[in-house]
Amino acid sequence: MLNDRRPVVSEMNEPSTLNSQLSTIPQFVWRIADVIVGGVFIYAGAIKVLDPIRFANDIENYKILPWTIGVGLAFYLPWLEIFCGLALILRRLYLGGLTILTALISAFLVATIAAKIRGLDITCGCFGHVSQRWNFSAHLALDLLLLAALILLLFRPGRDFRLA
Amino acid sequence: MVKSLLVRQVLILAALGLVPGIGQAIYFRDKVSWRSPVPASEMVTVTQARAWGENAIWVDARPDSEFARDHVPGALPLNEDRWSELLPQFLAAWSQEKKVVVYCSSQSCNASREVARRLRNEAQLKNVFVLEGGWEEWLRTNRRNLKWLNR
Amino acid sequence: MKTHIFAFTLSVVLCLTARAGLKWDQTSIELHPAAADKQAIGHFKYQNTGDKPVRFKSVRTSCGCTAAQTQKEEVPAGEKGEITATFNIGERTGTQVKTVTVETDDPANVTTVLTLKAVIPQQLDITPTFVFWGQGEAPKPKTIVVRAAKDFPVKHLKVTSSSPDFQAKVEETGNGQFKIDVQPQETTRSIASTLTIQPEGSPKIFYATARITTAPAIQ
Repeated sequence: MLNDRRPVVSEMNEPSTLNSQLSTIPQFVWRIADVIVGGVFIYAGAIKVLDPIRFANDIENYKILPWTIGVGLAFYLPWLEIFCGLALILRRLYLGGLTILTALISAFLVATIAAKIRGLDITCGCFGHVSQRWNFSAHLALDLLLLAALILLLFRPGRDFRLA
Repeated sequence: MVKSLLVRQVLILAALGLVPGIGQAIYFRDKVSWRSPVPASEMVTVTQARAWGENAIWVDARPDSEFARDHVPGALPLNEDRWSELLPQFLAAWSQEKKVVVYCSSQSCNASREVARRLRNEAQLKNVFVLEGGWEEWLRTNRRNLKWLNR
Repeated sequence: MKTHIFAFTLSVVLCLTARAGLKWDQTSIELHPAAADKQAIGHFKYQNTGDKPVRFKSVRTSCGCTAAQTQKEEVPAGEKGEITATFNIGERTGTQVKTVTVETDDPANVTTVLTLKAVIPQQLDITPTFVFWGQGEAPKPKTIVVRAAKDFPVKHLKVTSSSPDFQAKVEETGNGQFKIDVQPQETTRSIASTLTIQPEGSPKIFYATARITTAPAIQ
């Protein structure tokens, strides 16, 4: 995507090549992306909301946080995911939702990789026990895909911040 | 401009998530302990368990050697090294109205949780509790009570 | 949120710095003991990749059923060795996760947690393993369901009651499942029986208990 590196001779404020490529994508495609990414997080949040104690145990498996904090997060994070997912779909508080989700998925990625490095067995993931049988690379691939989608949405050209 | 808007949005969303989160935490207050990974309703403190008096059966989940050294008076041994041998002996002393208090050596040991889980799931007993702090806590409470009596 | 990210990042950094000194081949081992095995042994191999000797200060296990042994107290630079963790299976069931906490004098890597996971095969799943009647309760039969594991085909189940006061009838319900109907002759006395459940051709014996309790049944 970025191999097109000819020097831009024209005005400084002309959009970059990547940006101009992105801006050719019609708006409805962005909307669909919003709904899909938002929907994925709402789904992921809803699964965990139904069984916060199990999620707390999953967090405990990562052996990063003390149990008390883990329990607190287990009650809080799923709802945060749901609200941010809704923000994406409804386009209210859009930018805030995107930012929080990007931070969450990054943190989760780091935790997953850290757990892998330390040789911990994590039978859990961002999809609660639905993803129990997934292997590490499937986890990682999905997380990276979500992160990429979020970053694209975050830098989508012509986004109206007031609408956001 | 964009930045302050962003911060405001993040804060609003963070606060929104807090509301049902706290609600759920209150709803689940009896089902989860904030101190250790076992549901609160399945744990019991030494003081509480002692107050049950004759209504409680104490179960020692530690290995035989530790049970032989010392144990809670009247406690029955039930460890997973000799499960099928010890379980019938325990069941012979059990009756419906009794509460079962399982302990192992300390807060961090896992044997009491395992034994309690098997009594609940495999033998399908109700009123099975794990003693918070285990044998160490029992000893500590004992010492504290003795000191208090001697005063 | 920031503090959480910080905690995550910090842990990653800690993991990475922990690579100096003693280098472990793996800190987590999963064992699949056979049905007849009494012990499961994990070998945690290490090499001192630093330039100074490393001393073990303590090696602790998470439960009385696990024992860990170091071959030596001090590991000279460049030398290899292993810590063996022996897990006594006893009559434990299911997946057991035990940890061995190793403390060394290596400032970059003071504690290492080794995880030994043993997946103990369970040939028969018996629920419940205990049936009881309150004194004076109608002596109706109660059912124990036995399920055989997928890789453990059971054609026939032999069930015997240690006491003639209880009768046990086995019925195959298909798909490796059996139903044991236990019935007491009477419920006036406090009596008990041990039911011996033996799959045909298997040396392993499973148990269940039937009892008339002293207190009347709470319905």
